Amino acid sequence: MSRKIERLINLTIALLATKRYLTKSEIFRSVEGYEGSPETKERMFERDKDDLRSLGIEIEVGSYDPLFNDEAGYRIKQEKYQLDLGQITPTEISLLSLAAQAWQGASFDEAAQKALLKLNSIGVPSDSLTLPGASNKLSDGGRDFPLIAKAIADQQLLTFTYIDSQLFQNVRKIVPIGLSSRAGFWYLSGVDQEIQEIRTFRVDRIEGEIAASKGPRDFETPQNFDPKGVFEGGSPASFASIDVRKGKGTSLRALATSTESLGEWDRLRVPIYNLHTLASMVLWHGNDVFVQQPQELREILIGQLDSLVKSHG
Amino acid sequence: MAKSFSAPLERTARLLDLVPYINSHQGIALKDLAAVFDVSNAQMINDLTTLWMCGLPGYTPLELMELDFESGYVNISNAPTLSKPRSVTFDEGVSLVLGLELLRSSISSDRADLLEKVDSLAFRLSSIINLPSVFSVTTTVNQKIFGAIAEALASQSGLEIQYHSLYRDEITQRKIFPIEALDVDGVQYLSAYCYEASDFRQFKIERIQSAGVIQIERRVTHSVTQSQGISSVIKVLKPSRELAERFNLTDATVGSEFGYDTFSQQWLERSVLAAGGAAALLSPPEIRASIAQMAQSMLDRYKAE
Repeated sequence: MSRKIERLINLTIALLATKRYLTKSEIFRSVEGYEGSPETKERMFERDKDDLRSLGIEIEVGSYDPLFNDEAGYRIKQEKYQLDLGQITPTEISLLSLAAQAWQGASFDEAAQKALLKLNSIGVPSDSLTLPGASNKLSDGGRDFPLIAKAIADQQLLTFTYIDSQLFQNVRKIVPIGLSSRAGFWYLSGVDQEIQEIRTFRVDRIEGEIAASKGPRDFETPQNFDPKGVFEGGSPASFASIDVRKGKGTSLRALATSTESLGEWDRLRVPIYNLHTLASMVLWHGNDVFVQQPQELREILIGQLDSLVKSHG
Repeated sequence: MAKSFSAPLERTARLLDLVPYINSHQGIALKDLAAVFDVSNAQMINDLTTLWMCGLPGYTPLELMELDFESGYVNISNAPTLSKPRSVTFDEGVSLVLGLELLRSSISSDRADLLEKVDSLAFRLSSIINLPSVFSVTTTVNQKIFGAIAEALASQSGLEIQYHSLYRDEITQRKIFPIEALDVDGVQYLSAYCYEASDFRQFKIERIQSAGVIQIERRVTHSVTQSQGISSVIKVLKPSRELAERFNLTDATVGSEFGYDTFSQQWLERSVLAAGGAAALLSPPEIRASIAQMAQSMLDRYKAE
């Protein structure tokens, strides 16, 4: 096996060092390791090219005299082969090392470590930059992130089964446009192909495998999409007026846009994004929280409290 | 999940990456080099021996790489074509871009210099791998809190924190001695000795409302107070994703019953209330009665006002 490896390395060096395209016959003549009948050499070379390409090395095919029907030649461009981040400072190397460390134990860990090795080979030392929050870790819940990232870059179609809020399994087909993470959960945004609108899915609610296939040819990435906006919730449909006992209801207080003191209680103005989620939050707080408005939310609560009383009586 | 290559290809990639690494770390100890590339010393000697046979066409001593590793320290020369590191692959680039995004969310806004560098690096990497810039990572944790925790951990000092207990819906002031920061499925916890509870506790970092470093005498008396566990039985009335996620259910069909063990009665009561009638607690009877009573008193108020 060593011989094949030597041959691959020698081929890489030869194709990198050449200023012009090397023809196959030149390669067979000069690069060590090509032996046997012409057919054997040919097969060897085809396999070697595929192998190098699968390692991410771009081999260019061309001929140095386009006017004549020359034999095709090959070369590897230095600027494509080499890592080129431009001028890089010790602080930047430190930042990249910290970025790579964020994947410890998660799906991109191996890729991140390999990238780090390359960065450490540039020959620029890192400085001892410390960032307190950098103990943060990225985890992926066992999802195939490389597949998702590739699909975003190539505008592929992703098909997966998603669990909706009623626990029904729906098959969704989206062209992904963004991946975001917040508070330990990953969110995948994309254009839902059935309704042609942007939807965001929590990645851990995807059941089973995600399949990637060729995307629609006429796909255009929505111009106004801001991945950071996924969590802002857009503009709320309306506001609820909710009374909360002093010192209680911290999680509701965090959502409130204004607070008015009423003595023993505070009156909060809380944006409504989803009535049922808000109802569930209100119920969690028991007697410490009371909804004044809107009537619609009160009716949901009354219905739910009624069934709670009945099912626990 | 990372693409795995066949053994010869993986070795080819390693040899290509070895050259620039040695080139920028001339004189590195053989065993250190083996550790960096995560291979045995014998494998590293094998790799270097193979490399030693490679070079430019001609393959006379003039064109071959010069490697010296017999002394146990590795030096390389005459390898100009491979001396620069290979470019990053798509996966490697994505890992760094996402890592940088996470880093950005943990850099405080007064370090504009660093934020600028992070942006510029992310941009440069994205253009190398042709990645549209649509990744974002945000944490919900305040940077000041992270700073205080990191400082306390590093200097072995105590912390005074305001902590929001979700089950009791209370904010309490606590003096703690942090032991380590943990990551469990993307949620960060701080493991610490709590002086108020006189015991070890784990705090969800996102629920820490404020934190300040204090000098405190370290106490490591581990009292073995085991709180009493509660075994409950819950019946599913209306299956929902919220219910399945809250109680960790793999199967939630109408009428199915499941057992759930917890240490907190308050958590159990609040969870069943929040389910809004989608689930009924069958036992223990006293908690069932307490839920009924709470729901009734809330219902009475809504009907009256």
